[in-house]
Amino acid sequence: MNGVDGVKAAVVLFVAAILQVSIFTQVRVLGGVPDLLLVMLVAVALLRGAMFGAIGGFLAGLLVDTATLGQLGLTSLVLTIAGYWIGRYGETTGRDRAHAPFLSVAVITFLYSFGLLLVHFVLGERAPAGAIARGLLPAIAMNLILTAPVYTVVRRLLRPLERGDYATEVQLLG
Amino acid sequence: MVRRGILFALVLGALALLTISFRSPTSGALHDAQGYGASALRPFEVAAQRVARPFRDAYGYFDGLAHARSENKKLRREVRQWRAQATQFQAQAGRAQDLERLLRVEGGSRYPSDFRFVNTSVISFPLGPFAQQITIAAGSNSGLKVNTPIIDQDGLLGHVVAVGPSTASVQLIMDADSNVPARDIANGVRGLIRHGAGNTLLLDQVSKEQNVEKGDVIVTQGTVDRRYPDLYPYGIPIGRVLTVGRSDIASYLTVQVLPFARFDSLDTVAALISTKKR
Repeated sequence: MNGVDGVKAAVVLFVAAILQVSIFTQVRVLGGVPDLLLVMLVAVALLRGAMFGAIGGFLAGLLVDTATLGQLGLTSLVLTIAGYWIGRYGETTGRDRAHAPFLSVAVITFLYSFGLLLVHFVLGERAPAGAIARGLLPAIAMNLILTAPVYTVVRRLLRPLERGDYATEVQLLG
Repeated sequence: MVRRGILFALVLGALALLTISFRSPTSGALHDAQGYGASALRPFEVAAQRVARPFRDAYGYFDGLAHARSENKKLRREVRQWRAQATQFQAQAGRAQDLERLLRVEGGSRYPSDFRFVNTSVISFPLGPFAQQITIAAGSNSGLKVNTPIIDQDGLLGHVVAVGPSTASVQLIMDADSNVPARDIANGVRGLIRHGAGNTLLLDQVSKEQNVEKGDVIVTQGTVDRRYPDLYPYGIPIGRVLTVGRSDIASYLTVQVLPFARFDSLDTVAALISTKKR
C-alpha cells in the first residue's frame, strides 16, 4: 500500500463520480438506476481495505454533492460508512473469495439505498420508501452487471495485497 | 484504533458539512465554496456529456423511428387543431391589448417579450427518487438567480433552487415539492400544478363546479396580485389535460396533465432572465 495506490484510487473514483452524475443517472430501467460510483467504491474498498473505502467514500460523496449543488455531506456520510464496511469485509472474511465483489455490491446497494432514505427521513425531507423499494431490484441487477468489468479494471490498477499488508485488528480463524 | 479514529473524524466531518449545508442552503461561505467547486467540475461533466451524446442520439433516432408513423398522424391532427385556435387567439390578443391600454393595466414581465433567453445544456440528472433536480451549465455569471424559470423548447421545466458562478441546480416541476400556479387557457380555470402519477402532472385545487376538458392546454398563471409576485410569468406552456376525474368523496377535480417538456430526454434548456426593470 503506498501513495501511488491512493492516487490511482482517487482517479478511478473521480472518473466514476463524474460519469455517474452526468451519464449513468440517465439510464433508468424499471425505476432503477445503475450506480457506477458505488460499484467502483466497493471494488476499491475490497482491494485496498477499510481506510481506502472510508476516505474514498467521503471524497467521492463530496464530489457528487458539489457537482450537483446538493446538500454537502449527505452522500459523503453514507458512502463513508459503506466504504469502511466493505473494506472491513474485504480485509477479513471476503478476502480471496470470488463471490465477494458480487455479494458486496448486492448488499451495499440495498444498504446504501435505505441509508440515503434514512438520512433524508431524519432531515425531514421527502423519503419515498415505495419508490426506493420498487427500483431496488433493477438497481441491484444493473450494479451486478457492472461489477465484473469494473472489478477487473480496478484489480488491474490496484493489485491484490499480500496477507501481511491487511489490518490485523480482526484475526482470521483457520 | 487509529482507523476507527479516522472513520469517526470522516463521519463527523460529513455530519458537520450536512448541518451547515442544511442550515444555509443558498448562501454562506460553504455554499460559495461549493459553487466554485461545481464550476471546477463543470468541464469534466460537459466532456462526459459530449462523449455520451452520440450514443444518446443513436438511441433517440431508433426510438423515434419506431414511433414515427403514429406520431406523424397525431401531429397532423394537432396542427389542424392549433391552426384553428391560433386564428381565434390572434383576434382575442389584439382585443386584450386594447383593453389593457384602456384600463392602464400594470402587469409584471410578459413572456416571452420581456425576457432574454440564456441557452445552456444539462450536465447532471436527478440522482434518485429523493428529488427531481438537474444541474445546468449556466450560473450567476450568466445572470441566473435563485427562482429563475427554466424551460425547454416545449414547455416549463422548473426553477433554479441553487446557483453557483457557472452552474445552477434546477428543481423540476416533476418534483414532489413543486407547486406551480397554472390556468387552463381555454376557460381561465385556475389550479396548482403538482407531481402526479408516473410521468404526469396533476392540476390540483380545481373545484368540481369548474369545467375542464380533455385536451385543454395548461399554462403558467403568472402574477395575480403584485404584492405576491409569482416565480413564473403568465403563459409558459406546461401541458395538455389528459383525463378529468370526478369523485363524490374528493373535494376537487382530478385533472391529469401530460407535460409538454420531455423530462426523459433533457439536453438543451433555456433560463428566462427578465429584462424589465423593477
